[in-house]
Amino acid sequence: MTADGSAAPAEPSLPTRLPLDGLRVVDVGNFLAGPYAASILGEFGAEVLKVEHPLAGDPMRRFGTGTTRPDATLKWLSEARNRKSVTLDLRQPEGVDLFLRLLGKSDVLVENFRPGTMEEWGLGWARIHAANPRLVMLRVTGYGQTGPYRRRHGFAHIAQAFGGLNYLCGFPGESPVLPGTVPLGDYIASLFGAIGVLVALRHAEATGRGQVIDVGIYEAVFRVLEEIAGVYGAQGKVREREGAGSFVAVPHGHFRTQDDRWIAIACTTDKMFERLAVAMGQPHLASSSLYGDQRKRLAARDTVNQLVIEWVASLPRDAVMARCLEEEVPVGKVNSIADIFADEQFQARGNLATVAVDGVGDVVVPGVVPTLSATPGRITGLGPALGDATDAVMRDLLGLAAGEVARLRAQRII
Amino acid sequence: MTAPAASSAPAALPLAGIRVLDIATIIAAPYCATLLGEFGADVLKLEHPVGGDGLRKFGTPSQRGDTYTWLSEGRNKRSVTLDLRLPDGVALFKRLVAQTDVLCENFRTGTLEKWGLGWEVLRAINPRLVMLRVTGYGQTGPYRDRPGFARVAHAVGGIAYLAGMPKGTPVTPGSTTLGDYMTGLYGCIGVLLALRHRDLTGEGQYVDAALYESVFRCTDELAPAYAMHGTVRERQGSSHNDNAVPHGHFATRDGKWIAISCATDKLFGRLAAAMGRPELASHSIYGTQAVRLEHRHDVNEIVRDWCGSLTRDEVLARCHATDTPAAPLNDIADIFGDRQFHARRTLVAVDEPETAETVIVPAVVPRLSETPGTIRSLGPRLGAHTDAVLQELLGCTPDEVAELRRKRVI
Repeated sequence: MTADGSAAPAEPSLPTRLPLDGLRVVDVGNFLAGPYAASILGEFGAEVLKVEHPLAGDPMRRFGTGTTRPDATLKWLSEARNRKSVTLDLRQPEGVDLFLRLLGKSDVLVENFRPGTMEEWGLGWARIHAANPRLVMLRVTGYGQTGPYRRRHGFAHIAQAFGGLNYLCGFPGESPVLPGTVPLGDYIASLFGAIGVLVALRHAEATGRGQVIDVGIYEAVFRVLEEIAGVYGAQGKVREREGAGSFVAVPHGHFRTQDDRWIAIACTTDKMFERLAVAMGQPHLASSSLYGDQRKRLAARDTVNQLVIEWVASLPRDAVMARCLEEEVPVGKVNSIADIFADEQFQARGNLATVAVDGVGDVVVPGVVPTLSATPGRITGLGPALGDATDAVMRDLLGLAAGEVARLRAQRII
Repeated sequence: MTAPAASSAPAALPLAGIRVLDIATIIAAPYCATLLGEFGADVLKLEHPVGGDGLRKFGTPSQRGDTYTWLSEGRNKRSVTLDLRLPDGVALFKRLVAQTDVLCENFRTGTLEKWGLGWEVLRAINPRLVMLRVTGYGQTGPYRDRPGFARVAHAVGGIAYLAGMPKGTPVTPGSTTLGDYMTGLYGCIGVLLALRHRDLTGEGQYVDAALYESVFRCTDELAPAYAMHGTVRERQGSSHNDNAVPHGHFATRDGKWIAISCATDKLFGRLAAAMGRPELASHSIYGTQAVRLEHRHDVNEIVRDWCGSLTRDEVLARCHATDTPAAPLNDIADIFGDRQFHARRTLVAVDEPETAETVIVPAVVPRLSETPGTIRSLGPRLGAHTDAVLQELLGCTPDEVAELRRKRVI
């Protein structure tokens, strides 16, 4: 396998000790919310064991665009990177015992079952904590581990709606749309989860005590909505959908070019608008008597936007981009994935990593984010085959004899 | 002031003893410092003596004058004024860097270098330093010098293209600062990893975070599907990308909206039961995803009609009775009235001491059982801690501080 996603700024040839070398993470989650935190830990050196049901495995293996491998969609290959797969049936008592032994040799557990599920299997926090007092457990669910809605389904789009993000996306008075057809809530909740794990590991290493990190996808999404709670609390003002624009700045939005493509312009300050006016060849627009002041632009929002709409529509995308960049206007193409593959910044930063996968061929996936100068993360391999490490883990980590492993397999415990 | 529910005897926070210098502006890199502060780090916000961080003016002003976003995201920070454009300011800054664990900045590439404060200089002062650098496009590559805002990052990173009605105008993905927050999160992960490496080896490093990369990293299977099949995903309103029907936002009789997500056949069966039409989930009708995808228009029409015939509360009650994944599209008024938000204390009321205004802010995320993060104060007034920090940390006398103030260094 090869990986070129790390984009190390300095001396990538020297093998470095990664920050999480020596840590073991057990990921017993399904899909993305939570498991993505384990992916990040894996990118920076942790050994990640994906514990899956012996028959079906993680349903993400079958979700999205299929490949020549029946147990791997493209989504699985990309997001289950840097893992070893271990089959274990947690619905059987012997599976639970083996799982607890595994946790005894691990540092982090990631799970995202509906609250109460692990407890039903005899895997509540008290028992896990007793098996390994230093273990850090990340629990990600739609609504968190507490509160009246804790047992409800919380897939990304549901939790995003509940957390207040989806209401804000779309045109005023029209149907709210998704903030991009990607499971943003799952990713954002996982980022918070990874931070919780790293903070809790620090505490565990200092004190010997592990703890639980409880992330509700809804509150992860709600946490990043800047001023809306403060403003509603103080003034009772309800934020509505802002279409392609912004409430706090004009012009600030998406504009269609002559060749029927789209660009984003963000004039957050008066200085930025002045630059845009110059790029448009109409510097007088930024005079104090016209639209030089943000408050005036906000008051004349439609008029100002119309001027920009007309100018952008009079030129092909490349020409608009060139003029804006020359004046240092904050501007960008509204990139499709085809645009992204052709983009020189994505190429230069190594954001598209090509990884060879047995039986599938080359697969292109997003590279590691963020970029660390001394210890850049890496992709050691994409989503594993179901149970590819079961034998090794049972034998080497848990010390089971070959006959024992065969029996467990015959009984479908592994 | 309320802290998240937790054990009674508070353990020392995990980042107690870590000092963070936040010389960044608005949200992206400062949000990393906010997260570190919630878990115990001492965060010094270094600001220009005139005006300070632009976030103080970006958005809706509070009674004190600084915006609500500043009050919320400046939580737990101490404000110190310092003009890095003046040699005396640079000298003081270097003395602070010598006593610091983490530095967060998001100036355009080359700015710190222009002030004589590039990575090599700072590393020579403090080899253990961890530095977070956030820009629109990262520290390298052909676009590195371009101005970058979250709006542009949403566009460049690929999610703006995916937000909106099919063939319609791409819309803002819910919030114009989403990419800033996401980059603050990635930056914080990078800083925590780098601190760990630093503690093990003594070696500091910098984290190079780009707004557009944070967005692009969260785009699902977009890249592998394009590389393998040439698939270009387009805007699809509120429906799922060709994987599941019904999936989306539906209007209810009282003019509100709900989200329904039936990713599997089992979940569609539950929805059909909630609608009082279990036969729809039979094999001969719409019981399998492939058939529903083929007849997506008809299936969505049935769900739309059903939702439109009931109030939001009625639709949700029936969905929850059969365990169908559904939720209201909450606006902020709904959120303030919601039992789950209350039970989890997702909203926290904190008093602003000067004006006695009670400000509502989002609670700390994530929630740790043993060492929960805390909100000890809201965003401070500009320069509220300048004197204290210069005297305590740098040993300046009151006269020296007065002189620095006269020279407008602070």
